[in-house]
Amino acid sequence: MKLVTAIVKPHRVDEVKEALRDLGVNGLTTTDVEGFGRQRGHTEVYRGAEYQVDFVPKVKLEVLVPDGDAQGVVDAIVKAARTGKIGDGKLWVTEAEQVLRIRTGEMGPDAV
Amino acid sequence: MNAAPLAQPVVKLREDLGVLERAYSLGHHGPWAANRRAEMVDAAIGQLFDDAGAPSSIGLAAIGGYGRGHQLPRSDVDLLIVHDGTHGDEVAAVAERVLYPLWDGGFEVGQAVRTPHECELIAAERLDALTSMLDIRPVAGDRELVEAAASRVRAVAAAHPVGFARSLREDADARAERFGVTAYLLEPDLKQGAGGLRDLQAVRWVAAVVGAALVRTAEREALEAAEEFLTRVRSALQFETDKRADRLPLELQPPIARAMGFADEPGLLAEDALMRRVFEHARAVRWIAGNVLARAEAGSAMPTEPPMPFGDLDRALEAVADAAEAGAPLDARMLDSIEATTVPESPLWSEGTRRSFLRILRAGDAGVRALDALDQLGMLAVLVPAWSPVRCRPQRDPYHRFTVDTHLTTTLAEMGRLLDGADDEPLTMGALAQSPDRDALLLGALLHDIGKIGEGSHVSAGARIAAATLDRIGVRGGVRDLVMFMVEQHLLLPDTATRRDLTDENLIIDVAARIGSPERLAALTLLASADSNATGPAAWTPWRRTLLRELVVRVQRTFDRGDMGAELAHRLTSRLEEVRARLEGEPDDVVERFVLRMPRAYFLAVEPERVAAHHPTIAPDVGSTEVRSVAHPASREGAYELLVVAGDRPGLLSWIAGAVALAGLSILSAQVFTTDDGVAVDLFEVEGAFETEIGEPRWREFRGVLRKAIEGRVSLAHRVADKQARYPTPAMRTSVTVAVDNEASDYSTVIEVGAPDRIGLLYDITSALAELTLDVHLAKVATYTDRVIDAFYVRDAVGGKVTDPAQVAEIEAAIRERLEAHADRS
Repeated sequence: MKLVTAIVKPHRVDEVKEALRDLGVNGLTTTDVEGFGRQRGHTEVYRGAEYQVDFVPKVKLEVLVPDGDAQGVVDAIVKAARTGKIGDGKLWVTEAEQVLRIRTGEMGPDAV
Repeated sequence: MNAAPLAQPVVKLREDLGVLERAYSLGHHGPWAANRRAEMVDAAIGQLFDDAGAPSSIGLAAIGGYGRGHQLPRSDVDLLIVHDGTHGDEVAAVAERVLYPLWDGGFEVGQAVRTPHECELIAAERLDALTSMLDIRPVAGDRELVEAAASRVRAVAAAHPVGFARSLREDADARAERFGVTAYLLEPDLKQGAGGLRDLQAVRWVAAVVGAALVRTAEREALEAAEEFLTRVRSALQFETDKRADRLPLELQPPIARAMGFADEPGLLAEDALMRRVFEHARAVRWIAGNVLARAEAGSAMPTEPPMPFGDLDRALEAVADAAEAGAPLDARMLDSIEATTVPESPLWSEGTRRSFLRILRAGDAGVRALDALDQLGMLAVLVPAWSPVRCRPQRDPYHRFTVDTHLTTTLAEMGRLLDGADDEPLTMGALAQSPDRDALLLGALLHDIGKIGEGSHVSAGARIAAATLDRIGVRGGVRDLVMFMVEQHLLLPDTATRRDLTDENLIIDVAARIGSPERLAALTLLASADSNATGPAAWTPWRRTLLRELVVRVQRTFDRGDMGAELAHRLTSRLEEVRARLEGEPDDVVERFVLRMPRAYFLAVEPERVAAHHPTIAPDVGSTEVRSVAHPASREGAYELLVVAGDRPGLLSWIAGAVALAGLSILSAQVFTTDDGVAVDLFEVEGAFETEIGEPRWREFRGVLRKAIEGRVSLAHRVADKQARYPTPAMRTSVTVAVDNEASDYSTVIEVGAPDRIGLLYDITSALAELTLDVHLAKVATYTDRVIDAFYVRDAVGGKVTDPAQVAEIEAAIRERLEAHADRS
């Protein structure tokens, strides 16, 4: 099992969700997050008041998938989240040692 | 092992309870059934006690809910065994013989064994023991002993009535903190929450100790109605769960609603109708408990004089406004007096009504409490009929905590807080500096969700209802316009901020155009803050705040720079309308896509008639190497409009400019646009450099050169330089100026170049830009007799502004070098 984690721009979340739904992925966790990568925070000046935006708002998506589906999910996320501009985000895949559906106790691919 | 047979009284009790349970539908077990249940338990316990052969010095008492004769289907049976302290062993034996059969029969029995003196001690120590024993009632055995315990317990509370009231109030506050508010939570705790049955009992306890006069007649009646209803719901809940449950979960609301006889109606599901009634009653309980406990705590004697009805509605409202301004609660006599005032069914708003109402809205938290009082007194619904449909209406979404009406009054309170300068967030301070009309802000906050009545879009319903309400109140002119705008557009900022691409310039300009003025932007910003604060913690996270701020800052700068304003917004709107009208024959989706992807600057710069003419060239998808061009005589004689459409890439503009020069055309002006999806739309006004009439061969030559240039088959640099060498530079020499500006746009770096006009000038500048891999996103090129002023809006390879000072210097130097080298050469 793999855990695919992606940090994407907030306004791309709906596209990613749809792309994953088209792939038959039926579970997804999203979290509102803030952070920075190469796209640093910036200083905004608004009506004379200057304030520092240290962290940029993003959305973190997490999807658990069977090993064989991971690449398809990765491709779909990248395609849907890409705008070509700076700050499109990042994606990584990690091994999920154990996956269990709490209600039924099903394990592994049955649990996703 | 066989279980011992159940004692006969317990068997009978179970049978009796079963009969009672089946006698009514599960939703109709109210206080009467609870009382009947307590009587059945009394009978069983009396029998068990008699069978036990108990000594005379023991009394058996019911306490808590059971003591009040209010035994719910799955509630504990709370028993107190009162003894005189002389027969320890026998007490234990009696307890065994009464309690064990009940436990064996599956009853939850809470029990305590105390002497009257011990009752007094523990009552003085613990509020819950005190209150449960205030409801003490003898069931079996020595009645006098129980009475002795009861009077000692009552004396504990009566010795310090104010302290008792304070303890009850503190307990109510602590419960509200822990169990939430029954009056609006979607999964309310019917017993312990604020406005739940425990609050209702607190009123009864304090009234029992301080005096029944503490509770006004109307309040007593409202409490009885609430007890009836909430007891039915709580009983149904216990039947459904077969547990001593108090929290009403979402999944049980539909079955309980049906059991209680609620049915789906247009705009209101059965479960929402149930919750609405729960909220109405709990709201009344909460309000009354607050008032009664405050009265008792203040030690204020109830008025002995009869109420003094006000002469009319306006006088009553004025008194409420006075109290709100003074931050004072409405005392019992005032409430009675308002209740006794004759109010017409549908009163007309006078100048006085309006003045008092606005004074209440301006009074912050005290004003919201005054609105709550007006609501409880039934006056708010009379003054503002639109209030009734949103009153106590539940909202089922992940964000809202409150019912619609509570959300509206909470937003009003939040707006008051913002206006008082309680928030030092730059966004709020900036918006306040615009000083939008305060009354409009307050009315907008109060009315923004007034359309949440379960009928389609709440925004369009809200606009209709708000308009009628404002007319009724008599709000006119600019204030009315601003309130209407707030109601109609209150979702614009939060929705755009969280769902759309804030680096999309078109989007920002469209938002600015919809808003139209900094004052309106300020009003929407303040409403978004107040609304989100009033919605719940999930709606106003730093994450959301950052996005909202980003959007507001960008829109504000659009106004500040004059890129958008009331006049431009109007022009853009009317031009887009005209464009749509001219393209009426085309499929709607094609036209809308065209409108969406073209930059707003294009529509502002190009006449709708020309836009319609460009549409067939621009609208179809452009292949990656495809170049389309169309020439058309311009309005000025001898001039032609040349439209070039191609996939955008760094260098494209320089190739076009080069091809124009090589084809013997001279550029009078140029406007370069880039669509949302990366297509360059370049519009030139050209004339022949050598002849006034431009024939097809020249256009063909232009297209041929451009194609070859794109395919890399000709060196434009070489060809243009060659051509330039053959023609003299104009006699009048003016200096070259280059300025790089990063303030003029949020999205692009603006490079302004001034230079003497000559053949291939645009090519020279744009090829310098291309060499630095700068993409020209927007350009305005204008020729004034012999001098050209160009402005290029450029972005770097990743679509951002050029902010590195070294790169800025490089750009300036490169352009200067290109232009001055040519000047030297000539």
